[in-house]
Amino acid sequence: MTGEQAAEDAVLAVEDVALSFAGVTALDGVSFRVEPGTVHAVIGPNGAGKTSTFNVICGVYAPDRGSVTLGGNRLTGLAPHRIARLGIGRAFQNIALSGRQTVLENILLGRHVLTRAGVIASGLRLPSARREAREGRAKAAEIAELVGMSRLLDRPAGLLSYGDKKRLELARALAMEPSVLLLDEPVAGMNDEETARTAGVIRDVRDRTGVSVLLIEHDMTLVMDVSDRVTVLDFGRLVADGAPDEVRRHPEVLRAYLGGALGETDAGTDAGTEAGTGAGTEAVANQDQHQEDK
Amino acid sequence: MSRRVLLAVAAVVLAVVPFYADTSLLQMGLFVCAATIGAIGLNLLSGVAGQLSLGHAFFLAVGAYGYVALAGTDDRIGLGLPTWLAAVLAPALAGLAGLAFSPISSRLRGLYLGVATLALVYIGQHVLYSATDLTGGYDGRPTPRLSLFGLKFGDDSGITVFNVPLGQYELLWYLGVVLAALAWWFARGVVAGRPGRGLQAVRDGEVPAAVMGVAVRRAKTSAFVLSSVYAGVAGVLYALIVGRVVPDSFGLTMSIDYLAMAVLGGMGVVGGSVVGAAIVTGLPLLLGRYVDALPLLAEPGSGGVDPSSFARYLYGALVIVLMIFEPDGLAAVARRVRALLPAPPAVRTHPSTTPHPRGGRP
Repeated sequence: MTGEQAAEDAVLAVEDVALSFAGVTALDGVSFRVEPGTVHAVIGPNGAGKTSTFNVICGVYAPDRGSVTLGGNRLTGLAPHRIARLGIGRAFQNIALSGRQTVLENILLGRHVLTRAGVIASGLRLPSARREAREGRAKAAEIAELVGMSRLLDRPAGLLSYGDKKRLELARALAMEPSVLLLDEPVAGMNDEETARTAGVIRDVRDRTGVSVLLIEHDMTLVMDVSDRVTVLDFGRLVADGAPDEVRRHPEVLRAYLGGALGETDAGTDAGTEAGTGAGTEAVANQDQHQEDK
Repeated sequence: MSRRVLLAVAAVVLAVVPFYADTSLLQMGLFVCAATIGAIGLNLLSGVAGQLSLGHAFFLAVGAYGYVALAGTDDRIGLGLPTWLAAVLAPALAGLAGLAFSPISSRLRGLYLGVATLALVYIGQHVLYSATDLTGGYDGRPTPRLSLFGLKFGDDSGITVFNVPLGQYELLWYLGVVLAALAWWFARGVVAGRPGRGLQAVRDGEVPAAVMGVAVRRAKTSAFVLSSVYAGVAGVLYALIVGRVVPDSFGLTMSIDYLAMAVLGGMGVVGGSVVGAAIVTGLPLLLGRYVDALPLLAEPGSGGVDPSSFARYLYGALVIVLMIFEPDGLAAVARRVRALLPAPPAVRTHPSTTPHPRGGRP
């Protein structure tokens, strides 16, 4: 698998990235490194800039400043599909599947970067295209098995339950055989059992293929359970970066991330206004994403 | 297996049609073949890749006039190429026209792309009317008769099978059916394969598609070029059927008709376009042929509802009803019907077309 070799030296480095939308700062000098073969979580309140960070890594947004590199390759400035080819796979937070296509076809889309068949080869069913299709189906079936969707392969993705759609997002990203896997809230809306299964899949894939995982998640049990390292963002700034235990005890994190619950005394009136701007940032970011989608 | 049986039966039926059908019926069938090819092409672009195009008539015109000009030996501009070569090069020319337009088409989407492609139709028709040296202007140009593998598609090819002389339309019929079948087969391969998945991903969201590694602008360009080549093939066939190409045919109405075929049949479903083409193209012609037998229809010009208007009302109503009850078109209706039927073998559900192996029963 391409992932195994590439992961050897593929450090994903985010360096001093700044991003703003119409004057509203979404990211302000964010830097961190994702070491090969580790699970690295990015946490923070809503509007902290987590998904924006993903969008910068994937090339959906161009940062105002700073850069993202993977191994020796500079990702900043490349088109999203070229970044995907360099080994960045992503599962979306807001499900972005092809609803009319089956589970199998959605997983196969993940293999787009690994396959070559063009219009002529597919139209004429050339031997190369048929072999590729056969291999693709076998791989897709393996991945479906891994995430527990084997029985659903022929079902249109639009008809799946929410939890299954999230799992299919994960499966499609896995099918890209990336060296870095970006997971944006992979267990949102899942029950405990489904969450445990997804956590198992993430660990399993990491152990077997050496992929690095960059994980955005609000479920702290999952974060503390699977992560080797945690980066905390708040209002677009990096608040803390370290091992889960360190981060959990970090005073800044307690204040910023858990501020509402623990820091009532010193947060006071500030919290209200800050929360307001935070929500505003996210709204702008979402709006922008919306425009991109159209 | 049952699917193969069905295809085999269909092939046999289509092969014997020229021995029973008269010229006007054959011509009707040929129009449906040409429309099928064009509709599949538009469906690949608008249905599969989600790129709205109102400019399909333009690319049909490039195919039709391209053939006439490449093979032309009359007093207009013409290269006088062998007709088979012209028939191959004309669709390639249409594809090149699609490629030339792709810097624009790959940057636009939705209604904006629709309006931009609309401009192609207006410009195209203007050129057809005014570049008289090339196009013959208002009166158009005669289509050079096709000659393929030494076979002349003339009034009398000199070939007689079972006492039926194979004339121009009989030979064209076979060509049209084979081309339509190939168009269908090729498109199905594209849609089911890697490029089709990429195009559908682009349709369902350009940002996620790009993040999945699909080169979005390249994918849109390839869809546009492929669709133009299909339109070019349809244009050549159309030119051969009508015998004379005139600018009037290649207007906005033609583009809209093709869009109706694609939507009616089912956007993104290749087989649906075959049915859509048959309904939109065949229905007015069929109603026109049997106008005497229909009680409520009048002869054209006699004041009542004439058959071609009636057919338009009918398919207009059909489109509206379909869009309300089944936006995914006739393909989705067919899927539902199949789901309702108890047994999978299609053979059993169509007893009339089932060959009786022992031939003993009536």
